[in-house]
Amino acid sequence: MNVIEVKELRKEFKSYSSRSGLSGAFRDLFTRNYKVLRAVDDISLQVKQGEMVGYIGENGAGKSTTIKMLTGILTPTGGEVRVNGMNPHKEREKFVQTIGVVFGQRSQLWWDIAVQESFRLLKKVYRVSDEDYETHMKEVIETLEIEPLLDKPVRKLSLGQRMRCELAAALIHNPPLLFLDEPTIGLDVLVKMKIREFLKKINQKYKTTILLTTHDLADIEALCDRVVLLDEGKIIYDGRLDQLQKNWVEGKEVRFEFQHPVELGSLEMVSSQFDVKWRQGERSHQWIAMVDGDDDTVSKLMSQVMLNHSITDVKINHVSTEEIIRNIYEEGMSHG
Amino acid sequence: MFYFSIFFQYASQYLKTRLTYRGDLIVEIFSDFLFQAVNLVFILVVFGHTTLLNGWSREEIIFIYGFFLVPYAIFSSFFNIWDFNDRYIVKGEMDRVLTRPIHSLFQIVIERMELESMFGVVTGLVIMFYAGNQLGLELSWYDPFVFLFMVIGGAFIYAGIFISLASISFWSDSKTDIMPMMYNIGNYGRYPVDIYNHVIRFVLTWILPFAFVGVYPSAFFLGRTEWYGYAFLTPVMGVIFLSIAIILWNSGVKRYRGAGN
Repeated sequence: MNVIEVKELRKEFKSYSSRSGLSGAFRDLFTRNYKVLRAVDDISLQVKQGEMVGYIGENGAGKSTTIKMLTGILTPTGGEVRVNGMNPHKEREKFVQTIGVVFGQRSQLWWDIAVQESFRLLKKVYRVSDEDYETHMKEVIETLEIEPLLDKPVRKLSLGQRMRCELAAALIHNPPLLFLDEPTIGLDVLVKMKIREFLKKINQKYKTTILLTTHDLADIEALCDRVVLLDEGKIIYDGRLDQLQKNWVEGKEVRFEFQHPVELGSLEMVSSQFDVKWRQGERSHQWIAMVDGDDDTVSKLMSQVMLNHSITDVKINHVSTEEIIRNIYEEGMSHG
Repeated sequence: MFYFSIFFQYASQYLKTRLTYRGDLIVEIFSDFLFQAVNLVFILVVFGHTTLLNGWSREEIIFIYGFFLVPYAIFSSFFNIWDFNDRYIVKGEMDRVLTRPIHSLFQIVIERMELESMFGVVTGLVIMFYAGNQLGLELSWYDPFVFLFMVIGGAFIYAGIFISLASISFWSDSKTDIMPMMYNIGNYGRYPVDIYNHVIRFVLTWILPFAFVGVYPSAFFLGRTEWYGYAFLTPVMGVIFLSIAIILWNSGVKRYRGAGN
């Protein structure tokens, strides 16, 4: 079953561009020049129940706009959206009962009142029964370790503490679908890890579908099997994260550090059966091999080299996801 | 029913928070009170120079002022949407409101209520009883019920006008200073409309019907039969204006563009 079903979704914003100068300002009074900006450009997307999808793109690529349409905040200009079997904007009040939303830069909690009072109000708002609240929230509070924060007002919490409370608040009604818009922005590594673990846990336990936008690709690597890459309002990649890595990296880089200086000739002889290019490192006994082929080939090459030369260190360099994505934005998707 | 229970949840939370800052609360009630007193003094000063204002006596005008305070107190307790554009559109708080399963306008009402303004009801009643006493008005059994309808109608008119104005923010995100101006215009409803030029009178009756918040309904209690038709229109006008406002609001929400991150 598809939790999210989006077909040719589009959102246009009209923005006025003012003419320059005083006479321009007068002309603006009568005829306005406006441009239509397409923030989201005919996106089609399906998400199944229980999936964790990373939604990434540069600033202004249309991530937030998409999420706001999927959560019923914005009305689409065109296209079809069905989330949890409903049209988010048309049946907003019924629909939002089935989703949880965390905006990293905006608080869901009441600033002046204790966290547990906020929870209590939200519990009423979402019409959660006492039993459901007890059983479900007790666990959430335990896992996120926010028990000691419950009687403090939100304004006295640190960002990391607040974020954990925000996450708990979004889960009060145990929604089957969770939208997270930059949930880890500005958090330290420890809190990030805690949040990731927690998300994994609820995904496994309740089969909660999670759609996540973030600038921290480590979040995506830790959580999402699937990534959707957005650029200028269009989806430029939709698929598995490891596939993205495979398609993009042509071969691997192996860095050998030998005990003694080694000649290029002897290395080439040892590795003649492989498709490999050698390159001298910074020092005379450091050599870098660029291998074309899968992991198997790489390990065979390594054992072949090590059989003939004694080494002090060897390192396989992976190209990081961050680098891949940077490349995609710079060069376009032609490689993939 | 659900909306009632949510309302009381928010109200009790509100009181809890306010009572922890007792000092603030007292200062606020006191300054409200002072504001009302200044208005009353103004009326007294005007009548220091004349005894009748186009056929209306000083006590009658004071009575109208007292009546006006009651729907106005209800309005300012629950409809603090004068800063809607700033707070909800520009700062993007509307995003949060729209992700909750309650009507967006109702959420803003319960989030922004200021229950201490309800003290205006007490002041208003005291002023009305004082002026009524001076005028020798009799209280019939049905007067409290009529009063209730009139007050609700008046509060609805106020709410309708200000909600409509707030809805403009959905179409245009530029700041307007129309809200404070409207508070000023609202004050004209406190005086008998027949002292104004007929254009202003038309505006205050049919376009920005603030006259239905003060002078028209009061005319009923003052026994001025020539105004009865208008007086009984008060609840009707209230319902019409609030309905228009809600329709405007709902279509505005569809236009909401969100704030950029």
